[in-house]
Amino acid sequence: MFLALKEIRHEKLRYGLIVGMVVLVSYLVFVLSGLAYGLAQQNTQAISSWDAQKIAVTSDANDSLSQSLITKQTAQQMTLTKDEAYIGQAGVVAKAKGQPKLSAQFLGINASQFIYQKLSVTSGHKPTAANQILVDDSFKDNGYHLGDKVSLGATSGKYQIVGFTHNAKMSVAPVIYGTLGTWRTLSHVTSDFKAGGIVSTRSNFTAKNSALKTLTMNQFINKLPGYSAQNTTFTFMIAFLMVIAMVVIAVFLYILTMQKLPNYAVLRAQGIPAKVLVSTTISQALLLVVGGLIIGAALTAATVFALPAGLPMSFNLPLLAGVTGGILLTGVVGALIPVRIILHVDPVSVIGG
Amino acid sequence: MPALTLEHVNKKFGHATNEVTVLTDVNFEAEAGQVSLVIGPSGSGKSTFLTIAGGIQTPTAGEVRVENQSLDQLAGKARDAMRLNKIGFILQAYNLIPYLSVKDQFALVDRVKPQGNLTPAELAKLLDQLGIANLTNQYPGELSGGQTQRVAIARALYQNPDIILADEPTAALDSDRVKVVGQLLHDLAKQHHKAIVVVTHDLRLQEFADKTYAIMDGKMTLA
Repeated sequence: MFLALKEIRHEKLRYGLIVGMVVLVSYLVFVLSGLAYGLAQQNTQAISSWDAQKIAVTSDANDSLSQSLITKQTAQQMTLTKDEAYIGQAGVVAKAKGQPKLSAQFLGINASQFIYQKLSVTSGHKPTAANQILVDDSFKDNGYHLGDKVSLGATSGKYQIVGFTHNAKMSVAPVIYGTLGTWRTLSHVTSDFKAGGIVSTRSNFTAKNSALKTLTMNQFINKLPGYSAQNTTFTFMIAFLMVIAMVVIAVFLYILTMQKLPNYAVLRAQGIPAKVLVSTTISQALLLVVGGLIIGAALTAATVFALPAGLPMSFNLPLLAGVTGGILLTGVVGALIPVRIILHVDPVSVIGG
Repeated sequence: MPALTLEHVNKKFGHATNEVTVLTDVNFEAEAGQVSLVIGPSGSGKSTFLTIAGGIQTPTAGEVRVENQSLDQLAGKARDAMRLNKIGFILQAYNLIPYLSVKDQFALVDRVKPQGNLTPAELAKLLDQLGIANLTNQYPGELSGGQTQRVAIARALYQNPDIILADEPTAALDSDRVKVVGQLLHDLAKQHHKAIVVVTHDLRLQEFADKTYAIMDGKMTLA
């Protein structure tokens, strides 16, 4: 560590450039991971807030809640516990006088069941009548207020915003919570249909009805339109970026070590053990990479504050830890590649003939 | 018992038609308390002799003993430890670490060999003798050739080795400094009982030597 620190302090420009490169790489990876995770979150925020384990939809709905219609007859054959709740989903365009149009996902729920009971309200209250709705905070960000009368889709009715809720998004659209009756109206279905699906917080829940198909929430989320394709794209982008970053950082550290071989030859001639040189090389690589990661993380944090609120950026600790660990590993690998050369550096090369 | 012994040492490089013999049947002894000078022109095999004597290279044939310990019997780590503890190198190209200040060159030795080095008072006296006491915060790149060489000498002496192997230690020094360095090496040998081996083509050092060897085309003779 002594040699590593002394060299960094003396060669500020050279090591500053390397740290700068690690900063840029880590910044890029952090921001891209944040955007990818943020976008993924916006697909599933509302679903995650229910803490549900299973969902049952009709077998012919292709695992899509918005395409699923459970008849009253089927519903009567089911016995729901306090851990289950009916739900219906419909894509709508919300519009209030003097406010912008917003594409949203309407979720019809039953006030006596767990989804309604779990809803957290940031202002106002939960809907208590058929013409009342609870909407995501992003409506507020777009100028909507409590008490606004909102038209939904092509229906003639008006619905009053009685409350706002936080982080309620589904398929990257804000969620509007209302009654199952309103859902039926928006879906243009008769009262012969009870709901779109049944959500359960029990991991052992299975809808024992041939008309229904039970999915885990992960299976359901992966079937959300565009979710898998979008996540796969981001995962590949980040993976390629990580691999390229790893190669670039490793090459830089390798070149750096090769440039130091004459000095190492001197130290070997003086009897400095090879393990001291190897530990110096590795500790120096770690110092540079850790320094770069810290600055990269600070820049990312600054970026989060500077970005507009609507931009989907969110961070997940295991993901960040994985990315950070990957870049750290890169540094160690880059420093380890020339270890064999360090171990065999020839002190004779520094003694003239 | 000699501090350093080379017996029938041969060194060849290359194979078959490319084979070059650099040292031929070299016999050499350096005693504690003496300065041994090895004089020869460039390409005579001086540096190869020095690297073999210091355990950096192995001879093709023959034996090298440091305080009666054959270097053949020492593995890599033991040889490193022997070099760190017993032998100080003063290298021709000065070979200081460019990113360490003068005082840090000594601090590095303290880190890998915490005991047996010169005391701060002894180091201060040595730096004063060499005229570099005011350069401790300088980096090698900020020193003149002569100053660098004197720092390299101090660096080699700092670890207080029993044997000092010096490769052209006065190459960049004026006559006054040659006398200072020659006298310093002589005093180290006499007062501190060190075995000093100097390979050089600088005849000005002869007056400080107890023994002088001549080396020519890889063959060594006692002058």
